[in-house]
Amino acid sequence: MSEEVIVKDVVINNKLGLHARPAGLIVKEASKFKSEIKLLLDDIEVDAKSILDILTLGATKGKVLKLVAKGEDAKEAIDTLTKLFYNGFGEK
Amino acid sequence: MAKKILQGIPASVGIAIGKAYILTRDHDCIAPMQSISEELVDAELKRLKDAIDMTIANLKSLKSKIPAEHTEYSSIIDTHIMVLEDAKFYETIARYIKNMKLNAEWAIEKGIGDIERSFRDIEDEFFKTRISEIKFLGRKILNNLIGVDQEIKPILSRVILVAHELTPADTVEIDVSKIMAFVTSQGGKTSHVSIVARTLGIPAVVGIEDIDEIISDDQLVIVDGFTGTIIIEPDENEIVDYIEKQEKFEKYKRELYQERRVPAYTKDKCHIKVMANIEFFEEVTSVLEYNSDGIGLYRTEYSYLYKPHLPTEDELYEEYRDLLTIMSPRPVVIRTLDAGGDKIGKGFEKIEEANPAMGLRAIRFCLRNKDIFKTQIRAILRAAVSGNCFLLLPMISGLEELLEAKKVIECAKEELQREGKQFNYDLPIGIMIEVPSAVCVADALAKEVSFFSIGSNDLIQYSLGIDRTNKYVAHLFQPLHPAIIRGIKHTVDVAKQAGIQVTMCGEMAGDPFCVPILIGMGITTLSLSPNAAPGIKRMVRMLSYKECKELVDNVLKGKSVIENNRIVRQKIYDKIPEELQFYTSFFEKQ
Repeated sequence: MSEEVIVKDVVINNKLGLHARPAGLIVKEASKFKSEIKLLLDDIEVDAKSILDILTLGATKGKVLKLVAKGEDAKEAIDTLTKLFYNGFGEK
Repeated sequence: MAKKILQGIPASVGIAIGKAYILTRDHDCIAPMQSISEELVDAELKRLKDAIDMTIANLKSLKSKIPAEHTEYSSIIDTHIMVLEDAKFYETIARYIKNMKLNAEWAIEKGIGDIERSFRDIEDEFFKTRISEIKFLGRKILNNLIGVDQEIKPILSRVILVAHELTPADTVEIDVSKIMAFVTSQGGKTSHVSIVARTLGIPAVVGIEDIDEIISDDQLVIVDGFTGTIIIEPDENEIVDYIEKQEKFEKYKRELYQERRVPAYTKDKCHIKVMANIEFFEEVTSVLEYNSDGIGLYRTEYSYLYKPHLPTEDELYEEYRDLLTIMSPRPVVIRTLDAGGDKIGKGFEKIEEANPAMGLRAIRFCLRNKDIFKTQIRAILRAAVSGNCFLLLPMISGLEELLEAKKVIECAKEELQREGKQFNYDLPIGIMIEVPSAVCVADALAKEVSFFSIGSNDLIQYSLGIDRTNKYVAHLFQPLHPAIIRGIKHTVDVAKQAGIQVTMCGEMAGDPFCVPILIGMGITTLSLSPNAAPGIKRMVRMLSYKECKELVDNVLKGKSVIENNRIVRQKIYDKIPEELQFYTSFFEKQ
């Protein structure tokens, strides 16, 4: 099976958490990939390509999210998204 | 209309005196709600799709009109567009048309309601404010569906904007350069209007019910962003008073900036060292800008939390060395890791803890993961040759933990010696006093360390058993509680007897009601957020040690929070009323 599943933990490190702008960035980046990409917070799973989904997660600073990507470009997708988290979405 | 004084929530500081401009939107048309027949479903879905597309087009054209410097506003619109383009958004509404055979208007109401509810379940206040934006989007679509256009009347001169509620889209449509202040019925300190006001540096008062109906256009209004008071049609005396207050505030801000580098001596010449608490290396620029007497608390968690791997000894060493070199000869207190495995991630099993605050974190985590701890200790020991370094151990609850931690430090020293690496053998070691048991056995602990640093936030939390992020009990978090005052006094006395230094690095160090008490107890080093330093220094210069000591004697006799709050507040209000208001407003802003 060529379908690859990649899982990665990331910490939300920007001050206000996944509010509108970071959520928008995630959607923008995630939508570039063919893979199915999910964000998991505790037991809640949402679609990384839906801004509404991400916003309703209410993910605040310090929480740990699981990124899960499934598909041919899963690895690239996770790398790209992880970078966003590490950079704190370009915020202070 | 007769003069009226109203009270709201102060959301952004400053004073504004000017004419009111009421932001009104025509009342929304009542949307017809009907069921539809099966064959109309497709037509209805198309109506919905068209209305959403039209709303997106509206927003895009709105965005093109925004001046380039207001990027924060255009990014708000971008988010709105993204939400409208989100397939989930469309589906949430469309399924009411498809499954329940409702017309588009009704479906929008139902769908928007669903989305609102999913936001309402979020505990974070900031996310909750999204609800008003979702409502706003729903209204916009509905208006396009029914075909009403809503324009707001132009703002011609500088005004005080009064509205029921201010949505991000409103802020985009109005010319903010003409706004002197905001007054709204809805909202709290973290709502959109408050954030915008603080960004623009203009006053805002929120949460006055029906304010947009009480005030009418062109009425003269005074907005006091310090107290949350609104005066409608003030008399001449009031206007004069407020102009005076406005000028005093401007003067305060000016002086604060000018005096930011002046050291803090009380009127009777006691030097109070004002140091900085910092979290990131980059903050060192503001530490220098405000001429802090040193770094009283360097939180080291950042290097652990936001990196893909655990930091190596050399990475930590370089970070600490650079900080010490820049600050030298001023002291830098480096606190060892004050987090648990959950925060660090990276290979640590997530453990189930009912009370993480009382769980495996800080020194307990370090003593259990001695390799991580020792790596950090070695980095600090090595960096300590580059400046005036102090090592601080967090969350010590008794002698055993301290001795065990010291053993690790000794072991690190032996290793470094064996390896022939350069390090500071005499690095002073201190502990945080933040667990109540440490206060009780402070005498035993004092014999083993060179200094104490009181972390008031946790000390209060643990002593009073109050989680202050829990809104039901947050009001019980009281720094002037007799138990806290006595505990701190005891700690300071024990330290004095043992001849060791005490620093206060919790929020009490930046609290204008606590600072006089701390000074009166004989604490001479305060460590606080760097930008709060100028205000606290200025306050110190207005106090005398003698008066502060008298205040402490009174407070030590206090039996209750109410009594202590009364004693302290009265004393300080009497002494420096306006200073206090100005400072407090800054204090809360941070």
